[in-house]
Amino acid sequence: MSSVMISVDSLSRHFGDLLAVDDVSFEAQAGAIFGLLGPNGAGKSTTINCISGLLKPTSGRIAVAGHDVRRDATAAKQSLGVVPQELAIYEDLPAIENLRFWGRAYGLSGAELDARVDDVLGTIGLGDRARELPKKFSGGMKRRLNFGCGIVHAPPVMLLDEPTVGVDPQSRERLFDLVRAERDRGTCVLYTTHYMEEAEKLCDSLAIIDHGKMIAAGSMEELRAQLGARDVLHLNGEFPGAAADRAVSALAERIGEGLEVISSSESELTLTLNGASQMLPAIFEALASAGAVVNETSLRSPNLETLFLLLTGKELRE
Amino acid sequence: MAFFFSVMKKDLARWRQDALSLLLWLAIPLLIGGLIMSFTGGGDGPKPRGLLLIDDRDDTFLSRFMAGAYSQGELGELLTVENVEAEEGATRIEAGEASGYLVIPEGFQDALLDNRPVTLELKTNPSQTILPGIITDVTEVLLDAGFYAEQLLGDEIRKIRETGENDLVDDAFVASISVSIQNKIESAAPLLFPPAIEVTVAEPPAEEGPGVPFAVYFIPGIVLMTLIFVANGLAVDYWKEREQGTLRRLASAPKRLIGVVAGKTAAATVVLTVMGFIVLALGFLYQGLPLSRMPSALAWIALSGIAMFAWLGFIQMLMSSLSAAELITNITLMPLMMIGGSFFPLAILPGWLAEVGRRTPNGFMVDRLTSEIVAQGSWAIDPFSWLILAVLALSGMVLSAWRLRAGFARG
Repeated sequence: MSSVMISVDSLSRHFGDLLAVDDVSFEAQAGAIFGLLGPNGAGKSTTINCISGLLKPTSGRIAVAGHDVRRDATAAKQSLGVVPQELAIYEDLPAIENLRFWGRAYGLSGAELDARVDDVLGTIGLGDRARELPKKFSGGMKRRLNFGCGIVHAPPVMLLDEPTVGVDPQSRERLFDLVRAERDRGTCVLYTTHYMEEAEKLCDSLAIIDHGKMIAAGSMEELRAQLGARDVLHLNGEFPGAAADRAVSALAERIGEGLEVISSSESELTLTLNGASQMLPAIFEALASAGAVVNETSLRSPNLETLFLLLTGKELRE
Repeated sequence: MAFFFSVMKKDLARWRQDALSLLLWLAIPLLIGGLIMSFTGGGDGPKPRGLLLIDDRDDTFLSRFMAGAYSQGELGELLTVENVEAEEGATRIEAGEASGYLVIPEGFQDALLDNRPVTLELKTNPSQTILPGIITDVTEVLLDAGFYAEQLLGDEIRKIRETGENDLVDDAFVASISVSIQNKIESAAPLLFPPAIEVTVAEPPAEEGPGVPFAVYFIPGIVLMTLIFVANGLAVDYWKEREQGTLRRLASAPKRLIGVVAGKTAAATVVLTVMGFIVLALGFLYQGLPLSRMPSALAWIALSGIAMFAWLGFIQMLMSSLSAAELITNITLMPLMMIGGSFFPLAILPGWLAEVGRRTPNGFMVDRLTSEIVAQGSWAIDPFSWLILAVLALSGMVLSAWRLRAGFARG
């Protein structure tokens, strides 16, 4: 399947003087999980709010399942299943009534509603607790019900806004299974997260967003190719003035291997290079000759986090 | 429409889980109302009695007749008459111990019979409202009655006065006076029975009409107090839904937010009408009012409930936080209830304050509900008042929907 279910074209959104989303464009396909990866405050939630119709874009165009979210808002919303970051369920209403209510909110009724509610209760594993109040549920069960309320009308497009924040590992895995099951059913899933591991594990393709701008996009293979085989070497210690930078630059000219300074300060130095583990002695020697003292070293293999570091010069979690 | 019923059903099911709050909202007004009624004597206890001090300086047949008139019939159930000396009367009325102090001057009977001007001095207690008014009205009626009696039977009364002074009463005199009085009454009878003047009542009966126990005037206020407590408590649900994220989720659903407002308002109306019915029914049963007035009163309560919930919801949604919303409505509603007839009936408030109270939204509702309950028949509220209340309810709902759309729902 390769039909485009979410199309975001040159989306921008201002809040007064703040440009929260700056000219973002991407497409998400049916039967695939598209990740929107970025640190907190990067503009992910603003993007998802524009797609779900909660916010009006300042400029740009968004279409969901072929429906323009501004001109054909009702049809676009009808195609969406939203699973918000925070729980959005009625804890004082039995689980089955929650599902029924949200099903009706999307136009289901009668036998169709009954069938979907039964189906979803089975999918989220709450069939035997259907008539209980969610306030008696564990956190993981509430998360599953929250997810179930988003899929009860079998939407062709799903928006999941950081659904695993504050969730224990076991519940997180269960939630991943539910998301994958929706993908396998042919649903287009847009998944925002600031957890790199989550995006790598779950997403078929993704876009990395920072300060409202999209800084990289593509399938996981395409993004890994951008990294090459370069490792990221992070050093803590004392790196006086520009002497350490100059020493590393001199070393880079001498040994090559794509050695590059990503960021540096008096106490931290982050480098990227091929085969970092073999080059460590040479690096330490160069830094020592420049008067630097290394107290702590960490070496990371190429992944999305290192890509983010390469592109922005900062950690994803900052 | 299906979504409207779905929202209504959902909210009714949720609110049922919090039955304790509903019971408290019902119990508090009943408790406050019961306490106020018992303090003010509006309940089942003895009727409030006033004390009229009379200083009869004339001490004649007519002055004694006038003094005795205040303790006759139904008036006697309201007033206790006590004869006092001048100094004592003045001191006690100044101390607020009595409702009124009447001085019947010396020469009162002579002046009345000789058709000369005479001045009675009546001092009333300014801290009381109803009983001093009754004393003033009765005094004026008695003086009018005295004037007409003098016109009709002046000769006979003068003869009695002279006889009393000379102490010469024999059977022949009594017989002649009796015949004379009889003749005059018979000749005046066609004019008096029935009266020659036909009176058509163009205005509705006064609020404090005969036959309605005073305690009845507390019922509308207590009903409205219940509506205010319940509506304010339920209106907080907009904030609760916002904080639990469901309002935001609803905003991303394809249904229009006016459906959310309509469904929630309908659910609130069901709860408010049931609460209002309970309080009203207790009041009706307690006071033995005719149940035929119940449907119209209940319809007014239901529409009042819609207006109350819609506006309180809208006002709460204008605030910046849930605590600010609760604070602003609480500090606003207390004084509104005070002057709007919830704690004290509008009928016993000073005139200007009652007029202000009637112009508050809840005072308007109390005032019309009072007229509905004390009227002789049902559906006594004028159509214009129904229209005003309907517009109030509708505008509150439209504004609530606007506020939801204008950003409140998305948080």
